[in-house]
Amino acid sequence: MNNGRSFKAQKVIDRMGQKLTRQMVGSLTACVHCGMCTDSCHYVLANPGDPTYAPAYKADKIRKLFKHHYDWTGKVFPKWVKAGSVYTDEELEELKDTVFGKCTNCRRCTVNCPMGVDLATFNRMARGLLCHVGIMPEGVEYVAKEQWEIGNQMGVLKEDYIETIEWQEEELQEEMGDPDAKIPIDKKDAHIVYSINPREVKHDPRSILDAAKIFYAAKEDYTMPSEGWDMTNFGLFNGDDDLGGAVASRVYDKVDELNGKKLVISECGHGYRSTRCEGPNWGKRDIAFEAESSVITMLRYIKEGKIKVDKSKNPGAYTFHDSCNNARSCGLTEEPRELLSLVVEEFREMYPNRAENFCCTGGGGAMSMSEYKPERLKSAKIKADQLTATGTHTVVTSCHNCVDGLNDLIGHYKIDMEVTQLVHLVANALVM
Amino acid sequence: MSSFLHFSEHTLQEIALVFMATAYFLRIKWFLKWPLAKERQPATGTGDTNPKKGARYSLANIIRPWDMESTRSKPSMYIQFALFHLGVVAAIALSFIIPYGPGLLKSSSAVFIIRFFTGAACIIGVMRIIRRVTDPYIRAISSPDDHFSLVLLTVWFAFAFMAAPNNISGGEGIMMTYFLLTAFFLMYVPFSKISHYLYYPFTRTYLGRHFGRRGVYPMKRKPAYQMNK
Repeated sequence: MNNGRSFKAQKVIDRMGQKLTRQMVGSLTACVHCGMCTDSCHYVLANPGDPTYAPAYKADKIRKLFKHHYDWTGKVFPKWVKAGSVYTDEELEELKDTVFGKCTNCRRCTVNCPMGVDLATFNRMARGLLCHVGIMPEGVEYVAKEQWEIGNQMGVLKEDYIETIEWQEEELQEEMGDPDAKIPIDKKDAHIVYSINPREVKHDPRSILDAAKIFYAAKEDYTMPSEGWDMTNFGLFNGDDDLGGAVASRVYDKVDELNGKKLVISECGHGYRSTRCEGPNWGKRDIAFEAESSVITMLRYIKEGKIKVDKSKNPGAYTFHDSCNNARSCGLTEEPRELLSLVVEEFREMYPNRAENFCCTGGGGAMSMSEYKPERLKSAKIKADQLTATGTHTVVTSCHNCVDGLNDLIGHYKIDMEVTQLVHLVANALVM
Repeated sequence: MSSFLHFSEHTLQEIALVFMATAYFLRIKWFLKWPLAKERQPATGTGDTNPKKGARYSLANIIRPWDMESTRSKPSMYIQFALFHLGVVAAIALSFIIPYGPGLLKSSSAVFIIRFFTGAACIIGVMRIIRRVTDPYIRAISSPDDHFSLVLLTVWFAFAFMAAPNNISGGEGIMMTYFLLTAFFLMYVPFSKISHYLYYPFTRTYLGRHFGRRGVYPMKRKPAYQMNK
């Protein structure tokens, strides 16, 4: 115990000082408690009358620590500005329930704050402080460990990964009627190095095949890496910049080793954000090659005439769900819409959309936190209503996490709808 | 005019202003010592924006209520915000006009404008106090500073409204209270939430640069590919 504080609580306080940036300090200082962010949060909307879900309320759980220990107004007049500290491990557990269980770091409150307070960024920091002392949901701990140790978040072994690709290569040869069709692995000097989500290997190998069909049709010079192929990154969810940097570096190092010209990241919101945007920040390194989402790659193929598509192959009406990480943190909002409108008969917009879209409720690693599932599914009512209002039976998304989050809520709210990704629709619309 | 009122209008205000400026200087110095996070990622988005555009958009957000869902969907809150802050400007301006340019207040239009904004701000202040106490969401996040700052401003607006005609023929009480409140206000502000305007340019610029680099700001409402056609 230190000043009546547990060892872990003291570590959290000390480490906070090392993790704070000026941007975060601005966000921690500038809140005026105006409450304008309140209705932007899906947790609030699904739990009317409960202020503990309000973004500013949740932010104050972290802000009070900052004020008490790092801001002199809080040091001099703690009660006056609601500054406070943590003393016990139980209090840290309560903080864990707020930063992991009541927020998906979707940043919807951020874009709705008149002062420009970025709650999601310091909420992630708080997650990192807790993880540093071993306080985190069990699922998060497990997945982070897999990513540190095995190199991908689902613990897929190298031989299983290779075997899956070889299996998909056989499927490709059969479907294309071309025994020479390949899914190259570790090919040097390829134009594209294609990285994927381990979920594709474990649960959705069809997406690997569909991507291969598109690359085949476009006659693309590409390769898949045998290592460093996982573009997902639990560092984004558990707030551990070291994990984030290590995972992203694995991908970058492999592209460098293969002398690839461009890294293409398959459809995954947090993977795209982590690998394309945050990885260089976490890893404190610049990348020498281009990196882009496969959505942009597929759209370019169509625009450049490298592939031809027939939208009548995807009849009916489709709506699009924006992944929070793609839309609110990477600006990937227009390309998926343009691509979708090229490959389906009818595209119906969902409202609100783009950077104002609601989270699928599976974001921020929530799908791995089974202890918060009831709260998550309750908050999913907002998304369920959004989906139903479109009147469509298929929702398209560019995120594996969102596929699982949406499927979960569709089942829970018994909505007559299925979820698919652009890669499937583009592959299905191909004219060979 | 009594010597104490003269002191309150001049020397006291100058002392309070110097105190506030010193406190703000120290506050900014403290803020700037925190390391600025470097953004290494190559730009994302449709290529029609950049950090500068994002920052401009973010800073202009204050006069573009339609940009944010939170202000777009609650126009009355935005109008309250605008009137309340214009009331602050009017009350501050009055504290300089009375001692240094009292001639301006011979114009009934000038007095009307100041009274309109300080009066409206005072009414909105009362509405906000009620909201802060009765709305469970706002009450849950309110600190003693939030309550006190709001009450202080509301009372200050009321005295600014009454002091605007700059007439002490009926007694110096109102004028004296207004200037004493102004002096207290100037010295209290750096330690309270009222100093949020000090951080506003920083937080909005940082967020704007971040979102501009990532193609998020300016926010898109209509498909870019349709706009290009």
